[in-house]
Amino acid sequence: MLEINGICKTFAPGTVNQKVALQNLSLTVKDDDFITVIGSNGAGKSTLFNAICGTFFPDSGSVVLDGKDITYEKEHRRARKIGRVFQDPMRGTAPDMTIEENLALAYTRSRVNPFAPALNTKNRALFREYAARFDMGLEDRMKTRVGLLSGGQRQVVTLLMCTMVTPRLLLLDEHTAALDPATAQKIMEITKQVVAENSIPTLMITHNISQALTTGTRTVMMDSGSIMFETGGEDRARMSVEDLLAKYKENKRETLEDDRILLS
Amino acid sequence: MGLVYAILAMGIFISLRVLNIPDLTTEGSFGVGAIFGGIVGVSVHPFVSIPIALLSGACAGFITGFLQTKLRVHPVLAGIITMNMLYSVNLLLIHVATERLKGLKNTNLPFGKSAIFRMALDKLGLSSSSMSAVYVKSAILLAFVAIILLLLVLFFSTNTGLAIRATGNNADMVRAFSINVDRTKILGLCISNALVALSGTMCAQLSGYTDLNLNNGTLIRGLAAVILGCAIIRGGGILRGLIASVFGALIYQLLVAVVVRYQIFGANSSDMKSITLATVMALVLAAPAIRESFIRKKGGKDHAGN
Ligand SMILES: Nc1ncnc2c1ncn2[C@@H]1O[C@H](COP(=O)(O)OP(=O)(O)OP(=O)(O)O)[C@@H](O)[C@H]1O
Ligand SMILES: [Mg+2]
Repeated sequence: MLEINGICKTFAPGTVNQKVALQNLSLTVKDDDFITVIGSNGAGKSTLFNAICGTFFPDSGSVVLDGKDITYEKEHRRARKIGRVFQDPMRGTAPDMTIEENLALAYTRSRVNPFAPALNTKNRALFREYAARFDMGLEDRMKTRVGLLSGGQRQVVTLLMCTMVTPRLLLLDEHTAALDPATAQKIMEITKQVVAENSIPTLMITHNISQALTTGTRTVMMDSGSIMFETGGEDRARMSVEDLLAKYKENKRETLEDDRILLS
Repeated sequence: MGLVYAILAMGIFISLRVLNIPDLTTEGSFGVGAIFGGIVGVSVHPFVSIPIALLSGACAGFITGFLQTKLRVHPVLAGIITMNMLYSVNLLLIHVATERLKGLKNTNLPFGKSAIFRMALDKLGLSSSSMSAVYVKSAILLAFVAIILLLLVLFFSTNTGLAIRATGNNADMVRAFSINVDRTKILGLCISNALVALSGTMCAQLSGYTDLNLNNGTLIRGLAAVILGCAIIRGGGILRGLIASVFGALIYQLLVAVVVRYQIFGANSSDMKSITLATVMALVLAAPAIRESFIRKKGGKDHAGN
């Protein structure tokens, strides 16, 4: 379970570039949660993920994973429990290494002996088996350099790497955004399947609102660094894309009016 | 001598190509290998100079790595700082050593009969100037290079080795898989500089003396070897890259020999060798761009003809 308690983050405070990226944001991801996150560009969605992963430390608030406060834990330490697929397909894999070498690297998360050979017949077979489950033909290209794969294939490799050793939290940042519709759909199917099979608590950012409403268990809408509203259960099941957009506009108007009142 | 620089080139390959870090510590760690290793070789035993050189080089790499990662110094500056530090250390060491051993302050310390190569030759009853002496020396060095190559290939196929390679490739991703990037960088630099220092001590043993000037131009020489080698033998993979570095070093040495031997630039060829080699290197580096522009020109003509 992940608990985010009122985190705030301001970039470049006190300068003209000052940017409040996260504003007193709280969110709980329970063990059986698969939360989809939506929000306009610059709403702070990726920044939220960065805060969870420890790319920077928040100005205030706390991040608690499985009862352990990890707010100020080093990035690579907490990464042991967190799997993350980046928005950019280039960021999740090492291009000059082969698929199996990338997988072997991801496999080191399961506390392996640092001086044992990274690839032996046993784990080669294991990696092939994993790759075959994704049904993308990757299992026959294990010795191909990842840099030679297409963006979609690379994103699949990243997803494979993130879920091979089951993480305690999975963060997906628009992981299908760079892909063609058919591949995107395929990867979404794979994602759902993997998450369901291993029951991984998951946060997924997407710009596809209908996808956001039909995937997972809850939907959270972010705006200017905080959560505007969230919906789940039957409420969500009944909600259409139009309802959601209407709700967004309504909320937006309210905040604008609030601002006007404050300013006048 | 080319084989000595092959060890150097393998060290530089690790920092330059595997870790993707421009590491300027090289000249300093080569010097510390030559001098500290050399002094130990003369005063204790020539074989002891090998672990000493490896160790001192690794320390140099550690300092540079520490500056780069924990103190966030720019990699180029970190290398320069360590290099300068090592220069002073080397100066001090050689002065103290020559004073102790020879009674005067000097910057040159001969091995006499105690270099590894001299010992081997004496055992075989060969004079050091005979032709077969060259073969014996080459064979010893070749064995060295082969062993190092083998060990490195084995190391880079372990989990730790894989992490080091990935660090140079995509540090973000390595961090996301809970590997301490600072640690892999430092470790990589340690290994790289240990090899450079080993090559330094071998250089001193082969020359039969050690002094402060042995390390002059090692950085550029090593870089040239790696770039040359990798331009000739293309393609990824650690094994290929290391072999390419070894070949690069040999070819570079061959070029130098040709230039000096045939006095291509007249009597002061040895002064002019740097510029020749710089030209050759520039050509090698520019080869892909030149080829591309040729293809484009040809394509243009074809279109004009239509
Ligand atoms: N390191 C940083 N320094 C300064 N500003 C930053 C930094 N990181 C993010 N920001 C700012 O924070 C805001 C939120 O950015 P973020 O990347 O989280 O948006 P997002 O919701 O992921 O948008 P998108 O849908 O386009 O991916 C942006 O205005 C951005 O400029
Ligand atoms: Mg984003």
